Amino acid sequence: MANPAPLRSRLRRYGTSYTMLLPFLGLFAAFLIWPLANSLYLSFTTFDGINPAAFTGLDNFRDLAQDARFMHVLRNTSVYVVASVLLGTLLSLGLALAFNGSGWAHRVMRTVFFLPSVTSSIALMLMWKWVLFPSDVGLANTIVSRLGGTAVAWLATPGLTIPILVLMSVWGGMGYGMVLYVAGLGSIPQEYYEAAEIDGASAWRRFRHITLPLLRPVTTYVVVTGLIGAFQVFEAVYIVFRGTNNIGGVLDSGLMIVPYLYDQGFTHFKLGYASAIAWVLFLIIFVLSLVNLRLGRAMKEL
Amino acid sequence: MRRTTAACGTVLLALLAAACATSGQAPTRQADRDAPATLSFWSTGGDDETAIFQKAADLYHREHPNVTIKVQTLSWDDAYAKLLAAATSRSGPDVISGGMTWTIQFGARGAMVDLRQHGLDALKAQAQPAQWESATSPDGSVYGVPLDMSTLALYYRTDLLAKAGLDAPPKTWDELTAAIGRLKAAGVDKPYSQDWGNLDWIGYFNYLYQAGGTFYTPDCKPSLDTPQAERALTYWVKLYREHGAPTASVEASDALDTGTALVVGGNWIAKGIDVNKPKLKGKWAMTTLPAGPAGPTTFIGGRAIGVTSFSEHAATGADFVRFMYSDQAIAAIVEEARKRNLPYIPPRPDKVVDSSSFTPDQARVFERAFRTGKAAPGCPGWDESAPDVSKHLQSAILGKADVKTALAEAAKVMARNAG
Repeated sequence: MANPAPLRSRLRRYGTSYTMLLPFLGLFAAFLIWPLANSLYLSFTTFDGINPAAFTGLDNFRDLAQDARFMHVLRNTSVYVVASVLLGTLLSLGLALAFNGSGWAHRVMRTVFFLPSVTSSIALMLMWKWVLFPSDVGLANTIVSRLGGTAVAWLATPGLTIPILVLMSVWGGMGYGMVLYVAGLGSIPQEYYEAAEIDGASAWRRFRHITLPLLRPVTTYVVVTGLIGAFQVFEAVYIVFRGTNNIGGVLDSGLMIVPYLYDQGFTHFKLGYASAIAWVLFLIIFVLSLVNLRLGRAMKEL
Repeated sequence: MRRTTAACGTVLLALLAAACATSGQAPTRQADRDAPATLSFWSTGGDDETAIFQKAADLYHREHPNVTIKVQTLSWDDAYAKLLAAATSRSGPDVISGGMTWTIQFGARGAMVDLRQHGLDALKAQAQPAQWESATSPDGSVYGVPLDMSTLALYYRTDLLAKAGLDAPPKTWDELTAAIGRLKAAGVDKPYSQDWGNLDWIGYFNYLYQAGGTFYTPDCKPSLDTPQAERALTYWVKLYREHGAPTASVEASDALDTGTALVVGGNWIAKGIDVNKPKLKGKWAMTTLPAGPAGPTTFIGGRAIGVTSFSEHAATGADFVRFMYSDQAIAAIVEEARKRNLPYIPPRPDKVVDSSSFTPDQARVFERAFRTGKAAPGCPGWDESAPDVSKHLQSAILGKADVKTALAEAAKVMARNAG
């Protein structure tokens, strides 16, 4: 148990600091802890947003396990997450290796690839929507028809939905990963490469046995943040693929966890069910991140 | 120890949250009707539309100097979520407008006033019967009344039709497919497309009713397993798969502008073509949708307006809603809509031709559609079912399921959601 004397002396020593932390803690409690606790509670209730919530135990989670649409959502999200994180990480690393010099050309290229990360995501999504505009006046279709092809219904072809979402995510996110990797590359001591070169190691072996292992903490970070971001994809689906009556594109081909959550909670008055989806999403991300951190053996570095 | 404290803290917070979320609701205390009152009207639509409804509100203020009504814009994109937030906190607007079925949805959960208490069921005599029915809850409650009307029309390029030797737009399903064939033969790449309702239940709605089918029987049993429903979907699917109707939706005026000969689009499109696409001036015209074997029935949409149950001025709000049906209110709204070149059709069929913001020729086309038009089904569970029904229709259009299976699956969803 806490001893009163050290507490008082600690208060005297750190009192000012704690007071200065209070405004933050207040906001943190009001806008994070409070809503989180609320949503945890609501996930065990049926709540339509207007009438009082009724406690239903694990019913929401049981319903989720039998919800065919939710299973479809999980499949969609898994495919999207795997593809976008894998491609995003590989391309980030590739770009970093290509442009990690300090010359102006490399700096310019790094800036160019980083630009999507500093642009508003809503603006980017609207731009993609215009690029993929279904008529032959859309940029993508103009190019296709210049090359002699026929106009493609980009946003109305179920098989193209996830590839388009992956393309948008990789294009928008690889510059950010690149910057992290460039920083990681810069921290690898040059001596290792010199020693390896003297031992006659090929460029591939130097990459495989020096660069990759030493970049592991960066890779872990890029993959974990990428996973979290990919699981939470929302704007891309909501802005680019939403139809008049459905949120996830033709045949739900682009319906992901968060858009489904939004749809259930805010257009179908099922806030309890939506909260349950949110907590399932939390569990998935939590478990995957843990696995990833273990696999990366990077707990200490982080 | 620290973990235990944190865990205890979280549990405590959760309990507090529970206590907060479960606090019951009492009927809202009503303000004195004679005291000055300011009402807020959340209007779903654009800022321009807010301005036209504000004209009616100003007129109301002139007649009732004690009452001020402020109209505020909710954009279509987030209106529903904002209204839900207002209903949850039981504060905000006194009067709201939005999608036709929204007031039913909010009403069923106790967030709207049953306007029958204020005698507004009398407005039924003035409204379009099918639209009125669609705004009425399955149990007969009137949580909202139509605020305006919308429908679909067939827009066409007169120059392209002339090129194919067609001197009139198609009037029936058979004429439509024949016209598409002739346009193709005359070298028109894009003979036909659909904007409003493309790949969606609203699109199917027209064919379904034109074939003599319905989504539900009068006692709200799903009725998609009929030969009529099958015939309608077969024809619709053929338009996509054999006649090349695009699955991707292009806004109707853009479609006309980029060389589509026949386009199904919302009535509001007519307002903007000459202004936004000056090249098309004199080259386009419009008519009602081609009739099916059972007739020309066309979808009627629009917005509903209602009074919230958490308003302190429910009686005044209801009186304002009634006022919106008066000749003078409609005149004020239409005058402003014309000035701003906005599409507006009043909810009274007798006013469509002389008191809409469209030209009389255009308004006559809409009036014909309203005469036989039907509105969205008001049966329980329809709103939940609509996205899934659309999905099953899409699977037939995209060739992933045959017509019969798609309809049977859609009917299953409707039966499940009907409870």
